[in-house]
Amino acid sequence: MAMHGVPQGILNPPPPPKAEEVEGSSKLGMAPGTIILVFVFLVAFATYYFTNWKLLSFLWQVG
Amino acid sequence: MKDFRTCATTGLKVHRQADALIKANAVVATVALLVGGLAAILVLLTRWQAIHLLDAIPFYRWLTIHGMNMLIFFIIFFEMAVLYFAGPVVLNSRVPVPKLAWASFGLMVIGTLLVEWMMFAGRADVLFTSYVPLRADSWFYLGVILFAVGALLVTCIFFASLVVAKREKTYEGSVPLVTFGGLTAAIIAVITLAHGAAIYIPTYLWSLGIGNVDPEVYRMVWWGLGHSSQQINVAAMVACWYLLGALTVGATVINEKISRTAFVLYILFISMASAHHLLVDPGFGPAWKIVNTSYFMYMAVLASMIHGFTVPAGIEVGQRLRGYTKGMFEWLRKAPWGDPGFSSLVFSVIVFGFVGGITGVTFGTEQINIIAHNTLRIPGHFHATVVSGTAMAFMGVTYYVIPLIFRKQIAFWSLAKIQPYLFAGGMLIFSIAMTFAGTFGVPRRHWDITFANAPFDLQFSPAVDLLIGVTAIGGLLAALGGGIFILCTVTSVFFGKPMEEGAAV
Repeated sequence: MAMHGVPQGILNPPPPPKAEEVEGSSKLGMAPGTIILVFVFLVAFATYYFTNWKLLSFLWQVG
Repeated sequence: MKDFRTCATTGLKVHRQADALIKANAVVATVALLVGGLAAILVLLTRWQAIHLLDAIPFYRWLTIHGMNMLIFFIIFFEMAVLYFAGPVVLNSRVPVPKLAWASFGLMVIGTLLVEWMMFAGRADVLFTSYVPLRADSWFYLGVILFAVGALLVTCIFFASLVVAKREKTYEGSVPLVTFGGLTAAIIAVITLAHGAAIYIPTYLWSLGIGNVDPEVYRMVWWGLGHSSQQINVAAMVACWYLLGALTVGATVINEKISRTAFVLYILFISMASAHHLLVDPGFGPAWKIVNTSYFMYMAVLASMIHGFTVPAGIEVGQRLRGYTKGMFEWLRKAPWGDPGFSSLVFSVIVFGFVGGITGVTFGTEQINIIAHNTLRIPGHFHATVVSGTAMAFMGVTYYVIPLIFRKQIAFWSLAKIQPYLFAGGMLIFSIAMTFAGTFGVPRRHWDITFANAPFDLQFSPAVDLLIGVTAIGGLLAALGGGIFILCTVTSVFFGKPMEEGAAV
């Protein structure tokens, strides 16, 4: 718990993890939650991008 | 050595001159935030047609004041503080030329005061972009030039501090990632300020009646300043993300090489992104526009997406290494949400990426830009990037700068804890509602969208009134959050309780 007026990261700094435990891209599998968030982002991105092309198609009608 | 103190929290040797320069720059940045925030409320209450507070000329005056204070003075003064932190402080080094550093700070303050004077006197109602042939008083342009020269000198001092630290062996191995991010911001700043000099010096001479400035050339070169300055923000903001992640939850850097490569992508490609401001300009061919905005710009977007992945992944890995391993999201649920540094970090990443990033890339497409250009969709986008992203990250860092650098406790701590929620929530509502209003074709920068007394009649969908009202409510919530931030930080710095012995020295 943070003391009044001082952020937790200063009062109780997180202990540093061992370097060998975190180095290297092979550890990407240790972040499955982030992978899910990334896919949510990509779906939102694709939806917004497609919607804008759809809106444009209402203005630029072919045929 | 009496020139240094040692921080009990981080163990860093802090040069007292760096300490003082960080404080000075942060205080001026906060004053600019206050002025720009007050201007924001006036602009907001005018664009809300139900209130329509100001007449046309005061509206454009306050809009100019809002843009300059928020996009230039607040952000760049804070970035100067970030450079003094990312250079001398993080590297345990010293400010190489303190007198020049203070002279540069003085130059920036004089430039700021000149610009403020011109804007408040009504002699520079030219908006943030100051597009030629709109002409402000020549003191306005001189003020901008002095400010830019001061900022350029600080950037050079930052480069010099890296050399000094290397030569005096104050660190081992490569520079830390935060410093690398600062270096990226500094390099982009040089590119930005070179564009600024290239366009503001001729414009200054033009304002004195010497020579001429072509409006199209002005737009092209000016956006090399106007947009690139926001890319300094992005690089500095990402550096703050890594810093906040490490400070708040001990986030790890999952792959140093990937993160550093992403910063290099910013340096190489982000300046070309300025071309997306010219997508509907008649003076440039489609090949030039598409190469810059649909190829080069995407490399910079890729960099942001890499950081947008590595920062939360670093937080997740850091949390999992400390035991939060249950399910997919225990690491997120049990994160320190009551720490304003952490909540600011998360909101900054999410709103910057999901709202600012997605809309920005979409509007940067030439064809889509035609339906978005000069509508409220554009300020809806950049408020999500600059305000919800950069300003939010800077606010989060401030909650750590005050105890670590000013060595004061945060005043009104309960308010400080809810401040990021109010600010980010308000800005999220504001940005989304504004973007939707823009989808109906509502123009940006317009004093009166009812077009009263105009020789033509233009009616927007009734939904626009609702969306503008929601925009205003979101903006006022964010303004309340911004006001709380200023209240907490100013009170802490000038009247706050000193840090207790052992908490931080």
